[in-house]
Amino acid sequence: MNDVSRLALTRRTMLAATAVTLIAPRAFAQSPADVKVGLLVPLSGLYARPGTVMKMGAEMAIDHINKAGGVKALGGAKLKLVVMDSGDTVEKAKNAAQRMVAQETDLVAASGAYLSSFTLAATEVTERAQLPVLTLSYSDLITDRGFKYVFQTSATAASQARQALPLLMMLAQSASGKLPKTVAIITDNTGASVASAKPMREGLLKEVGLELVMDETFTPPLSDATPLVQKVRAAKPDLLFFLPTVISDAKLVLEKMNEFGLSQGRIPTISFGIAIAEPDILQTINPALLQGVITCVGSWATKGHEELIAELKTRYNEPWMTQNAISTYGDMWLIKDALEKSGKADKAAVADALRSVDGGPSKYYPGGILKFDDKGRRVDAEMTVVQWQNGIPVTVFPQKLAVVEPFWPKR
Amino acid sequence: MPMLLRSLAPTLIAAAVYACLALFVTNSYYQLTLTLVLVWASFGLSWNVLSGYTGLVSFGHAAFFGLGAYTTALGQIYFDITPWLLIPAAAVVGGVAGLLVGFPTFRLRGHYFALAMLAYPLALLYVFEWLGYQELTLPIKRDNPFAYMQFSDPRIYTLVALVMLLGIVAITRAVESSRFGMALLAIKQNEAAAEAAGIDTLAWKLRSIALSGAIAGAVGAFYAVVLLVVTPPSVFGMLVSAQALTVSMFGGVGTVWGPLIGAAVLIPVSEILHAELGARIPGIQGVIFGMAIITVILVAPEGVFWKVRDRWMKRRAGAAALPTADVVTLPEHVIPFVAAPVKSTARPERPQGRVLLSVKGLSKSFGGLKAVQNVGFDIHEGMILGIIGPNGAGKTTLFNLLNGFSLPDTGEVLFDGQNMVGRKPHELCQAGVGRTFQVMRPFLRMSVRDNVRVGAYVRAASEDEARSFANDAVERVGLTAVADKVAAELTTKELRLMELARALAGKPWLLLLDETLAGLGHGEAEEVVAVVQRLAREGVTIAIIEHTMQSMVRLVDRFLVLDHGAVLADGDPASVTRNPRVIEAYLGKKWVNRAQA
Repeated sequence: MNDVSRLALTRRTMLAATAVTLIAPRAFAQSPADVKVGLLVPLSGLYARPGTVMKMGAEMAIDHINKAGGVKALGGAKLKLVVMDSGDTVEKAKNAAQRMVAQETDLVAASGAYLSSFTLAATEVTERAQLPVLTLSYSDLITDRGFKYVFQTSATAASQARQALPLLMMLAQSASGKLPKTVAIITDNTGASVASAKPMREGLLKEVGLELVMDETFTPPLSDATPLVQKVRAAKPDLLFFLPTVISDAKLVLEKMNEFGLSQGRIPTISFGIAIAEPDILQTINPALLQGVITCVGSWATKGHEELIAELKTRYNEPWMTQNAISTYGDMWLIKDALEKSGKADKAAVADALRSVDGGPSKYYPGGILKFDDKGRRVDAEMTVVQWQNGIPVTVFPQKLAVVEPFWPKR
Repeated sequence: MPMLLRSLAPTLIAAAVYACLALFVTNSYYQLTLTLVLVWASFGLSWNVLSGYTGLVSFGHAAFFGLGAYTTALGQIYFDITPWLLIPAAAVVGGVAGLLVGFPTFRLRGHYFALAMLAYPLALLYVFEWLGYQELTLPIKRDNPFAYMQFSDPRIYTLVALVMLLGIVAITRAVESSRFGMALLAIKQNEAAAEAAGIDTLAWKLRSIALSGAIAGAVGAFYAVVLLVVTPPSVFGMLVSAQALTVSMFGGVGTVWGPLIGAAVLIPVSEILHAELGARIPGIQGVIFGMAIITVILVAPEGVFWKVRDRWMKRRAGAAALPTADVVTLPEHVIPFVAAPVKSTARPERPQGRVLLSVKGLSKSFGGLKAVQNVGFDIHEGMILGIIGPNGAGKTTLFNLLNGFSLPDTGEVLFDGQNMVGRKPHELCQAGVGRTFQVMRPFLRMSVRDNVRVGAYVRAASEDEARSFANDAVERVGLTAVADKVAAELTTKELRLMELARALAGKPWLLLLDETLAGLGHGEAEEVVAVVQRLAREGVTIAIIEHTMQSMVRLVDRFLVLDHGAVLADGDPASVTRNPRVIEAYLGKKWVNRAQA
């Protein structure tokens, strides 16, 4: 909570800053050396877009930190961002990580590398170079290798799979006053979708008391969604889990649902992952069709981030703040906190500080606290439920983070 | 072996320089690039063993590469086996995969083969995703890193890769200079000609893809050790297969140096572009890299190595051109060309020995077209049979039936009393039937001697014997003076003679010559005729196809005239040339009257 006041550049802080300048000009004359922080994200190739958004988040955080006086424990040292392009292959990510540790030897910590497989390859390098890395990647494997220098800020994939359904049930309960009983699944047969749908069919649905009334798997690309949507209409489920990978498939199904009068949240349609809430989707799908569509993601801009969202919009013309931006923004602050704690611009000291950090409730990551367990996973990391409302996906659950009320059919 | 060592010398020197360079590089990032150059060079070499030498372009080498990588990852994760053992194991997996892939896929040729190969890694990619191996990491070994190839000094990776590369170069060199390489080169130039030269093309292709797959598997295994992370797209992806093609095509296809040059240039350039521009103008590195490759391919379509080599050879040849004027002196020189059929004087009567080839009731139809109808004739040992007929008479079809290139609908072909119908061309060649082709397919970059040597392996038991057979054959056709020239520098006549020598090198009993005189000037035709006559005197039985009668009249002992697929006339040259039906078939009715007038 402290951070917010630090962020706001009020007249009083300006005054204070001026006063400090007048009183202690020497401290500023010998300004301490910049502290370098790495950002290893894909800036070219298939994943350039999310990587670029991560860079925006990092740049904003660095500016805010520096404007608020830098790292106080280091005499107000400024943070300096060193950006590396991890490219679009595992090999390029490994190369970039190797370049980072070989040529930027004075980095104190880094954040990266978007895709789990890139993070895995990059952290093989950083672990051996003993450079602490914060990551928003989900894969459990990242922190299952016994590594000491990687810190996972999101809930891991397995944890998200466990959390998502109970979270949705709670949302339904709180929004409509009753628990849903039946569910339909429409999924494509790509790896990620199959990985999400399989454990649901094999027990997770039963655990939360949902009955699977329709289950359809298709191979992208769909040519016609009519048969799928007809089955949904016939089955009349309380919930529809919809797991597309290709945007054109999502568009076909949503259009057809609209045609059949099932859209606008009439049957709550729930996706998993960030794909259906990325700004790019608006280039192909009319926001009216997306109205009411829900997705569960590892993190999102939530209550308390309004100023950040506004700044992202004015500065980078991003319509809203996704996990990639907010999480990377938070990473920079966390590194700053670790620097304050260690009092040394040294990667080993920062790594120690991260291991023992206990920053209380987390401000930029959903749920849990700013503390890492033995494996390097953030303690009690939760996830967020996001709903498309009036052309923007906004956080609607958990309540303490929600920006607006979810809308849910009250039947 | 000493020859192999000599051929390896330049590589060993290059390797020593590279090793020194690697030892002085302490920056772990540059060291990683040094390692990856070697990895991709090795992978390019593996591709080269199949596609470079046989000409069957594989778009799917990632299949073997990926299987190797997964062998290492899974072996270490589930069985805690060290990569030192898993890399050889991966080679075995790759080799077996090569056989399994090759057996069905070699039914296809050209683009179809290339596209079919593309399918294997794509299919494997999905299989491994489906199996749940989306992301694997090789467990970190903090206690005994060396035993698990997890060197703390990155230079060791480069050295291991260098040793591996040298091994692969030695294998490739050994293949290149043996009958294995010759067979593959022959397949590349013309699979049919290779079969005719006695090469069991399917067997050699399978050996080649197994070796290629084994190398790719080992390289993939090492790649997994270097990257420590294996995901289906990173080892089965399109880009992986493309990498093998790019480095080889850039550097030069069909040579050991190609992939080495390609990898040494492209990998660092792409990495430097990525490092320098990636974070500033994302994506520009791909554009520059792509344009550079396009430029090089436009300037040197066969790769940098061949361009440089050709230019260098030309300069050297230019410096030392004049002294060795190529005078081909035939021992007994040519009788002036006589156009009209005169009585055969120059040639003594040849003994009509036992029947070597007997053809009975041979027929072949293509749909409604009866290309060959009920043809029968005998070839006696030591004779020269001329098969003539106007264009479209069915001569080449008949030849292909004799050779095993196509199957007759009815009839039999008895060679030395054995029915050869249904045998493959290389089996016929082994039995002692050699042939040349109407369209010449010389191996342009090889010397005349090496070109001829390809044909010798069918009889030769050893490399030395093959060499001596080849030299012998070169001498018999009178090409000794140009034996060390590369085929690209020969005249049409010399190429015809070289083809003849290649067929001769396999020591055939019966030689089938398909339009050997086509495209030759009159004087040149006479020289070739003289050589054929000489061969006949030395005891080779010959059947020769021609559609012009002129040069044949004095050459052959007997004519078989075909028209519309059927035998029109069969007899000695004098009677055949006067046969009104023959004249009609060739020249039309008008001429028959004139001839009789």
